[in-house]
Amino acid sequence: MNYSDPRLQNLLAGEYVLGLLRGPARRRFERLAMGSRTLSAEVTAWEGRFAQWALRLKPIEPPGYVEWRLMGRVRAESRPRGERLRNTFWRSWAVAATVVLAVIIVTEKSTPPAQQKAAEFALMADAKGNPLWLISVHPEANRVDMKAVTPNPVPAGKSYELWMIPDGGKPVPMGLMNETGQASETISADLVKRLAGAKALAISLEPQGGSPTGQPTGPVLWVAPLVNT
Amino acid sequence: MSASPAALDERNRHLTDLLHACAQGRQAAFQELYQQTSPQLFAVLVRILKRRDLAEEALQDALLSVWRNAGSYVAEKGAPMTWMVSICRYRALDMLRREKREVSLDMAREDLDEDGISEQEAVTSEVSVSKAEERALEDCMQRLNDGQRRSVRLAYVDGCTHEEIAARTGSPVGTVKSWVRRGLESLKRCLEAT
Repeated sequence: MNYSDPRLQNLLAGEYVLGLLRGPARRRFERLAMGSRTLSAEVTAWEGRFAQWALRLKPIEPPGYVEWRLMGRVRAESRPRGERLRNTFWRSWAVAATVVLAVIIVTEKSTPPAQQKAAEFALMADAKGNPLWLISVHPEANRVDMKAVTPNPVPAGKSYELWMIPDGGKPVPMGLMNETGQASETISADLVKRLAGAKALAISLEPQGGSPTGQPTGPVLWVAPLVNT
Repeated sequence: MSASPAALDERNRHLTDLLHACAQGRQAAFQELYQQTSPQLFAVLVRILKRRDLAEEALQDALLSVWRNAGSYVAEKGAPMTWMVSICRYRALDMLRREKREVSLDMAREDLDEDGISEQEAVTSEVSVSKAEERALEDCMQRLNDGQRRSVRLAYVDGCTHEEIAARTGSPVGTVKSWVRRGLESLKRCLEAT
């Protein structure tokens, strides 16, 4: 084929954009287009001509966990080299998990024996690994304890809201976070059950009093894996 | 419904700003970009992949690629949304080949207009292109014959192969190939003349 023929170039670019060049032909075209301004301009022109069909499809809201997982991958990639872990969102939390384990050992030692043991923990930490809150779930008491390890002041007019991230499905609201000291939230037995299968907890920045929609509306500030003990 | 030219410019400027912020590693900008564009991009992916789980996977992969390559986005690559739609479509087409189209084409399409995009769909999107561009393409599409028009639309909107278009139109693959070629040539001639 004579790829310098403008008519052929236009045709191939059009077929490429439509997705009709397949297999080796598609890869060959991609290589050619990378090295040719004319050809890549033809591709861009066809993409622009047809895009309106894509933009006129009725929007479909993707499930909330797609955003959470994607942001987890972005955060994992943004870590300094060496610390960076590739692959999945969940794998990227391995570093945080080791920190959580260390904290749990300390906590268990200092907990009076009479006090009921928590079944699940999550440690919220900032980007440098400094702990912010230790969150523990007490299934028998239908209670979640949130201990602010350091004071975490909330911006004026805002609240920090805690969410459970189920393994599939939308985030479930679990209450507002305290800025200092220790706080507790009573949760339903159903939520306790769902927490057992949950992957993680997350905190988002919401309008004062919490999300008006029942789903996170502000940026997700921190995410931590849930560790079963 | 088409956005007014001023609103469209404003939106494109905002999305371009977000892409530039992503290029500087600002995660909050990326999250906003995701929130503003994902419903439209997800619709494109669901339409091509026919399965929600695959579309979710494609959306994550494509958007991660947007984050990584935000620094390479320049205006010459088209409007920000056009650029992102293309990344999503190519990702979906790659996945279709990987899945070897084990998904039945008839699945989950009862509510879709066979010939492309229904009028109802056309009015619901807030993201759009300018009225003039929209009309130019539709005018030029009207000059194609039925086979040419359907082939081009089925390929772009549904990600159909020549063989699938042949099956859906009840025509030989050779005919479909020449419909596509003639259709593209005629479209380009017509669009450049307007």
